[in-house]
Amino acid sequence: MGIKKVGLNRNVAPQSWVEKIFFLDIAKGLKTTIKHLFRKVITVDFPFEVITPAPRFRGVHGLRNVDGTEKPDFDSWVKKLKIKPPEMGETRCIACKFCQAACPVPEIFVIKAKKLDVPEDHPHHGLKVLDQFDMDLGKCMFCGLCTQACPTACIIHTDVYDLSSYTRRGYILNKEQLSQIADDFIARRGKEKFDEHSEWPDTQKLWPEYDFARAKAWDNNPPYFGPNYADQK
Amino acid sequence: MSWISLEKIKSLGEKFDYVKVIENDKGFHSVEVPKEKLIEFLKFIKTDPEYSFKMFIDWTVIDHGPKADPRFQGVLILFSPEHKERIIVKSWATEEKLPTLTGLWSGAKWAEREAWDMFGIRFEGHENLVRMFLWETYPYHPLRKDFPLRGIEDTELPSLNEKERMDQLEGTMNYSRMHTALPTLEDLEITQKARMPEKSSQVVLNWGPLHPGTHGTIWFLFDMEGEYVQKCDIIIGQLHRGVEKLAENMNVQQIIPYTDRMDYIASINENHSVCVAAEKLLGIHEKIPEKAKYIRTMMAELSRINSHLLWLGTYALDLGALTMFLYTFREREKIMDIFEGITGARFTINYFRVGGVYADLPYGALDAIEHFIRDLPQRINDYETLLTRNRIWLKRNVDVCVITEEDVYDYGLTGAVARASGVPYDLRKIDKYDAYGEVDFDIPVGEKGDSYDRYLVRMEEMRQSVRIVQQCIEKLRKMSKNDPFFFEPEDKKMKITIDGRGTKLFKGEVYAGADNPRGELGVYIYQPKDGIKPFRFRLRSGAFYNLQVFTKAIIGRPIADAITLLSTIDPVVGETDR
Repeated sequence: MGIKKVGLNRNVAPQSWVEKIFFLDIAKGLKTTIKHLFRKVITVDFPFEVITPAPRFRGVHGLRNVDGTEKPDFDSWVKKLKIKPPEMGETRCIACKFCQAACPVPEIFVIKAKKLDVPEDHPHHGLKVLDQFDMDLGKCMFCGLCTQACPTACIIHTDVYDLSSYTRRGYILNKEQLSQIADDFIARRGKEKFDEHSEWPDTQKLWPEYDFARAKAWDNNPPYFGPNYADQK
Repeated sequence: MSWISLEKIKSLGEKFDYVKVIENDKGFHSVEVPKEKLIEFLKFIKTDPEYSFKMFIDWTVIDHGPKADPRFQGVLILFSPEHKERIIVKSWATEEKLPTLTGLWSGAKWAEREAWDMFGIRFEGHENLVRMFLWETYPYHPLRKDFPLRGIEDTELPSLNEKERMDQLEGTMNYSRMHTALPTLEDLEITQKARMPEKSSQVVLNWGPLHPGTHGTIWFLFDMEGEYVQKCDIIIGQLHRGVEKLAENMNVQQIIPYTDRMDYIASINENHSVCVAAEKLLGIHEKIPEKAKYIRTMMAELSRINSHLLWLGTYALDLGALTMFLYTFREREKIMDIFEGITGARFTINYFRVGGVYADLPYGALDAIEHFIRDLPQRINDYETLLTRNRIWLKRNVDVCVITEEDVYDYGLTGAVARASGVPYDLRKIDKYDAYGEVDFDIPVGEKGDSYDRYLVRMEEMRQSVRIVQQCIEKLRKMSKNDPFFFEPEDKKMKITIDGRGTKLFKGEVYAGADNPRGELGVYIYQPKDGIKPFRFRLRSGAFYNLQVFTKAIIGRPIADAITLLSTIDPVVGETDR
């Protein structure tokens, strides 16, 4: 069993008389501080400079709309839950409430579906649409369990992190706001986060390399990204 | 697994006719002792050289529900440093009373106060049985099964609804105006008096709860003789959120984000404890994919470096060395960047799952970690040049607030505090969970147990963590990108999901944990039948028991040493209060 003994007389020598008289201990420390005096600035000048969050960053939620990149089993989920087949631009949410079931604080969600009010001979008779989808982000822990539970990759985490409000009401987002957040995010950074199956792509980078503010925080010497595993390209 | 063997525990049952041996199919055997004979039995297993269970780990209570008779059961977990074994001793609390163990282990003092606070069990012979977390006039005992999860909402708080004129608040926006009870100033005064009923000096010095030196909300009471502390007590609980109660009402994957909020500085390690314990209960701890094991080990060690860097910065800041704070936070920023890229969050991480991790490493993760690890040893040398042999640093630390080896066993100290006192207690070596059995590292052990030793031990721990991370990277490089990172059960009865829905726990009980930067976070799960929600989910907090020794080590020291001692014990209030 590897045990390494540490202590003042074990791996640290006590101060010698020469050191005590000539203040060598403090001189050595000052040498280190002076060395740091000539380094470049590493602080990021927020809000004039902003670090772009990583692709996996768990920020404010968004509800994705149908845009032709759904998973192959999307239609079967829609059929199973008797939801009106959504058209392009309508929400992907099928009101299955899996997000609420996975959530440690289920009171966050208010999800309601309503039956369509159409005559009996209409093809959508007896089907439902999503009526209400409210999220109280004041109670949210941003743990990401809801996004992993979602069968249609509808609810996602975006990279928006500035969520402040003067009242508690400001933290409650409805389905239109959530869709808007998701649409903006997909337009901005959709390629980094998602492939056509809305899963973690193989080539997803640790963080965007185009971000110079983050390089500054890494002593202006950011790491160069290469493959992790032996058989990765 | 470091547990008492079946033969040894059976010979205990033969020796004492009142001892009932409970076998466990997972190997966590326990004994049941009637409460009249408890002290006698414990004295035997504490002193007998064949057993010598002299280290106190945990002492808590299970509530079997309002219909059960007898309803409450005390659970004591002990460790034997000689034989590297643990044992569970149980005893039924008839008439809601149990004998006190403070005569055998001083660490039981706070454990019993917590049990009284949460369950309402009286411990006969306890010197000052007051509440631990809640205030003295609070009428309920919240961890009882008949106490509702939402609490009893009997106080009106109109400020919950910020209503503007003509506003009609509906649905989720309309908060209820009723709130659970809150302490008033008088309640706090009563609490303060109850914690220190006898004082020798004219004035009791209050330190905290909102002092920057306490690193959170801890409230210290010092009974002073001139500049020297005669008596000390600590009021904690300002950050108590009832994680154990919450955990009893959700599945095990949902508990993990709550543990992020406990020790928020090393949240990965807290997640690790829950995962290790739940996997042992399910019996899958050896079947976890190799890749997940190495990723978890690597992340846990990075998190340890992160936590120790924050500790070093704030510790030096408290003692007046401001530069250290800026230097360590620069390195810490890099670790947080790596965490953000891999897990999606910088602080409250929730990356580990029971059965592995939720996602594979993104492209370039190992390169970034390697890049960081290459620089770090040089940085640690820089920190040591500034501090280790500085004369002011030596004066403030050497021979200050010595914690002896006896204290470690007596108070159940773990982590760097125990190791600095010369006890090589490290779960990474004892339990060998995840990949710790396959990597090579040393346990730093101090000599005297003063503040300076605790400082040196933590500095050495950072260097050892660098070694572990390097070995993990080497192993991970050789793996394939298609290797699984999450365990998929073949057994039809078992269900484990990444999102947690339907994850089941099996019948049984388990005590396991991980070695965290702040000591051992043990998780005790008691499950009378298969089910999604754990029946009793006890979190044995290392920081809680480590903080308890503060009240002893400070006695006879000047008040200025309180800062040094608190910083070197390094509690995080989120974990002490839970």
